[in-house]
Amino acid sequence: MMLHTPVTDILSMSDVRGGYGDADVLHGVSLNVADKEIVVIVGPNGAGKSTAMKAIFGLLKVRGGTILFNGTDIAGWKPNRIVQHGVCYVPQVNNVFREMTVHENLEMGGFLSKGDLSAAYDRVYGLFPDLRERRRALAGNLSGGQRQMVAMGRALMLDPKLLLLDEPTAGLSPKYMEQIFEIARGVRDAGVSILLVEQHAKQALAFADRGYVLAAGQNRHEGRAADLLADREVAEMFLGG
Amino acid sequence: MELIGLANYAVYMAIFIGIYAILALGLNIQWGFTGLFNAGIAGFFAVGAYASSVFTSPAADGRLGGYDLPIVVGWIGAMVCAALIAWPIGKVCLRFRSDYLAIATIGVAEIIRLVVKSEGWMTGGARGINNVPRPFGELPYFQSQLAYLALIIAVVGLVYFLVERQIKAPWGRMMRAIRDNEAAAAAMGKDIEQRRLEAFVFGAALMGLGGALFAHFNRSITPEAIDPMVATFLIWIMLILGGSGNNRGAILGVAVVWIIWSMSELVTDQLPQEYAIKAKYMRIFIIGLMLQLVLRFRPEGILPEPDYSNHEKKKKVPDANKASDASAAE
Amino acid sequence: MTFMDLINFYFVPGVVLGSIYALGAVGITLVFGILRFAHLAHGDLATFGAFAALAFVTALGVSVWVALPLAMVAAGAVAIGLDRYFYDYLRERPKILTVMASLGIALMLRAIVQVFWGVDTETYTRGIVRPESYWGLRIRDRELYTFVAMFAIVGVLWVFLQNTKWGKAMRAMSDNPDLALLSGVDNRKVTMLTWAIVGMLCAAAGFFLGLNTELKALMGWTMLLPMFAAAILGGVGRVEGAVIGGLIIGVVEEMSVLVIPSEYKAALAFAILLLILLVRPTGLLKGKVL
Repeated sequence: MMLHTPVTDILSMSDVRGGYGDADVLHGVSLNVADKEIVVIVGPNGAGKSTAMKAIFGLLKVRGGTILFNGTDIAGWKPNRIVQHGVCYVPQVNNVFREMTVHENLEMGGFLSKGDLSAAYDRVYGLFPDLRERRRALAGNLSGGQRQMVAMGRALMLDPKLLLLDEPTAGLSPKYMEQIFEIARGVRDAGVSILLVEQHAKQALAFADRGYVLAAGQNRHEGRAADLLADREVAEMFLGG
Repeated sequence: MELIGLANYAVYMAIFIGIYAILALGLNIQWGFTGLFNAGIAGFFAVGAYASSVFTSPAADGRLGGYDLPIVVGWIGAMVCAALIAWPIGKVCLRFRSDYLAIATIGVAEIIRLVVKSEGWMTGGARGINNVPRPFGELPYFQSQLAYLALIIAVVGLVYFLVERQIKAPWGRMMRAIRDNEAAAAAMGKDIEQRRLEAFVFGAALMGLGGALFAHFNRSITPEAIDPMVATFLIWIMLILGGSGNNRGAILGVAVVWIIWSMSELVTDQLPQEYAIKAKYMRIFIIGLMLQLVLRFRPEGILPEPDYSNHEKKKKVPDANKASDASAAE
Repeated sequence: MTFMDLINFYFVPGVVLGSIYALGAVGITLVFGILRFAHLAHGDLATFGAFAALAFVTALGVSVWVALPLAMVAAGAVAIGLDRYFYDYLRERPKILTVMASLGIALMLRAIVQVFWGVDTETYTRGIVRPESYWGLRIRDRELYTFVAMFAIVGVLWVFLQNTKWGKAMRAMSDNPDLALLSGVDNRKVTMLTWAIVGMLCAAAGFFLGLNTELKALMGWTMLLPMFAAAILGGVGRVEGAVIGGLIIGVVEEMSVLVIPSEYKAALAFAILLLILLVRPTGLLKGKVL
């Protein structure tokens, strides 16, 4: 008889290989995300961080390994099928419809929803009150931070269980970076697990629950974020000492 | 009698194949090696035909001319004129995707057609330019045809040699790198716009030469000789079917398409009047359909582009692909 | 020449011609923006639409105003078929190949018109229509209808694009195709919908050109350049820009006769096209540049 229930992994990726065209970029990547957990992937340039994320979302050829989401292997599925199963993805760049209003951006996020979206709008506007004020503004006219909110808001419209964020703070000032992390925490508190890729490793590890360090398309280190931050080898490798 | 008629016809066909081969080689430089979409081939052809005719023909009333220049000067003039028209168009349009060039070249061909029809002082208007001198034109008919064919074969051979040499030179390697991977080629610090402009202008000059060869063969040039869309499209289907990026393929495509095209005309001409006209349009429909089928089932054409990189230190293109993959990876 | 003459003989015909160009240019801008290639068969699809309307008029004996919607549906269906049987296979290949295929389709469509309707010019109705005078402004009924119909058709399209789920999906696809796919927008459905709309707009453009002038096999092809110039002038992907661009090109073409020989009227669209590419490739309303 079990004395404690094990932490359930919402996402479990094991030994995934794959890449663009014929060349593999990932040479066996494994990672887990538990329910309501924030997990960050860090690593040097070209380590395959974003590629790992795209593999989960079906944006590249997976040639080996499994990607279990809620116990179902979703490796090789098409993105829109994955979306319907509760995984949403926010790309690093070009992640809003610039010539559409904030509200329309959210509407596109709910495109696959059959029912009424008003509850979803309320939920997303509740998370991002700034957006409610600017709902009629064109997304292309917003500041970088607000645009990132629109991008996340769009992804949250279908009420996903797992949110994939590809370098959400790239190009943002430190002030906005904090704001985005703050928002991400809010999203997690609303019951969504988050897996993100970050270039700003120090700040990201300070904010996440757990972290993975990838290098050359493989796992290098993993552990609680605080432990990784304290790890000398990790620090020397790329945290800038 | 029969035999001579047949021989005459064969020589006549061969001359046309030679003229179209020049046009197809010009298009191959633009499309096959550089990826530029020129939908105004007939326009550059017309410029060359009229330019050479004006330079070399005797004086005529009410029209520019009477320079009586040597034919070689006329041909060079034809190439220069076509190149001069291509240059500003390329300058404006080559910064953008080739769609814009396609539209602009359709426009150029249309305007050249307007100029040819309206500027009688230069082109003779609807009557066109007659008495265009023909090399070996003073010989008896069959010998004259044969001599002109020999001349055309020599010109095609020379053009083929020049294009092949150019394409194997660093210039050609650069062109293919640009065509196959623009982003990587740009990163390699190549002046893409300038290279493309060179290819566009060079190709257009050859089309002008083709026009000149036609005018001198025909001894005249009139607006009716140039049906912009059908002429342009024939060259396109010749190149695509033969194998774009392959000069031998281009010439093969010219021969195949031109023989089919002319033979089908012989057949449709036998039909009663009322059907003959419809059949003429059906032929156009069929070459349009042929393009769709080639694009879908054999996009590389009969003779695919040879792997030129075999002759070179295998370097540029594979590297370029790798570079883009790596940058896409993160 | 009085001011009213200028208006009556140059400006009004310019606006009418411009309205026709606008209908075509809106279609071009949709294909350019959403499907991302220059559709060279656009003019000949308009020719097909015009002759389809003629077929309905002669075969069914219906009025031209009944024939117009029927022809629009027919051209919309043809456009979907063209995509399905010819363009769709080239989707994964460089877009320029689709441009090339569309040039072939242009010839095929024209050949079909020539085979079925011959090469003679045709008209929807016979007889000379005299313009009505409205306080000195001389306008024929059909000119008025052309102008009003253009705004009505584009207006309906505008409302559709702004307010419906699939209209927004089309805009999303034009704005950011990758993100639209990530959001679960079905590319195939948007493509088909776009072609249906584009075919209908083509038929309308061809119909009104036929109504105001006459029908001939080359009518659409000669409109191709002005329509593209209008779409690029207005800004690629901008429906309202295509309307403005179309009206400008139409008016400038008609007015140009005052200063340049009329034979070169057709060259004006080309000049405007080159000028806009040179000084402001995004067009008046900041469109896309491919």
